[in-house]
Amino acid sequence: MRRRDLLVGLAAAGLIRPTAAAKVEQGLFVHDRPRPVAALDIRDNQGQMAGFDSLAGQPALVNLWASWCLPCVAELPALDRLKPLIEPEGARIMALCLDRSGAIGAVNTYARLGIRNLAVHVDHHRRAGEVLGAPVLPTTLLMDRSGHEVARFVGPAQWDGPEAMALMRALIKGQTLNPAMAPPPPAKTTTAP
Amino acid sequence: MQRLFAILIATALFAGTAGAQELTGRFLLDSHDGGRVTDQSFAGKVRMMTFGYTFCPDICPTTLSTMAAAIDALGAKASQVVPIFVTVDPKRDTASHLKEYVQAFGPSFVGLTGTTEMVEAAAKAFKVRYKLHPPMTADPDNYLVDHSAGIYIMDRDGRFVAKLGHLSAPEDVAERLAQVIDGKEKAR
Repeated sequence: MRRRDLLVGLAAAGLIRPTAAAKVEQGLFVHDRPRPVAALDIRDNQGQMAGFDSLAGQPALVNLWASWCLPCVAELPALDRLKPLIEPEGARIMALCLDRSGAIGAVNTYARLGIRNLAVHVDHHRRAGEVLGAPVLPTTLLMDRSGHEVARFVGPAQWDGPEAMALMRALIKGQTLNPAMAPPPPAKTTTAP
Repeated sequence: MQRLFAILIATALFAGTAGAQELTGRFLLDSHDGGRVTDQSFAGKVRMMTFGYTFCPDICPTTLSTMAAAIDALGAKASQVVPIFVTVDPKRDTASHLKEYVQAFGPSFVGLTGTTEMVEAAAKAFKVRYKLHPPMTADPDNYLVDHSAGIYIMDRDGRFVAKLGHLSAPEDVAERLAQVIDGKEKAR
């Protein structure tokens, strides 16, 4: 979806107040019907193609992040813990880095955080934010086994808790999701990062 | 009290010379390299500016990514544009922190900060409103900042040309910049 389409949609929904502060609604947004996801040139840390078609017909969680986005970086360890828990049950976890430096930023951030399970995925032509219609980070897409986006979560969440597991299991089973299935926000840290 | 009085006087003088409703685009700030800069420091360059803060606690706008993509889309004309990020959170966004932050978006990006008063004056000159919320926890550095987002395009003389929404597509931003570079779009 193009960003302009998103803009029109948000404006129609009354979510945009042009002169107001940049308030964006957070939470789980379930689409009325699954949306096709535009193809993106996604590469791994070797520069090899690793796009959405590599998700191989399984439901997937695709997390959009950048190393300059502190709440994104803060939730990566939870996604790293979620991956080995849920992948044996039949879903895929992809963390897609939107850094302009390419794989370097992702690799450095993974090393700093001690990420063990997440693979490096990089938005090669730096178009993911626009193509996927994500004006804020983190944004996390939930895709069905045919690669359609069924819902998206805007903002950070506790991705390794029981609520996230239940949400992912519902996605795996192809059940209809609802906003009440949203995982809770992460516990507030007591210090600024 | 004395300081407050000085600010009031400065504000009154400012309003007197500029007019309360006019977007003057004037500023005096500190660059991420430590030098003091004004809007005149970028004379001859078309400016693409936004206001924000780096310590976004929940969600971070991708405005700077949009600006970086617009610079990419401009190709050879990009050298005639200076992308500028002004923090409205100078307490946490120090010059050295800003330097590291803006480099993530490209070598031509300039990060600007200053004292609270300098930042307030700059925001006022762009009619940017922002609000620092009380700290959320016992840590005085843990607080939220609301601000009005958007991308400002100023011409080579620093005059305001357009404000684009923070959801603008990069190619639309690039197109407006190209029009200003080519002299097809003039200051209002």
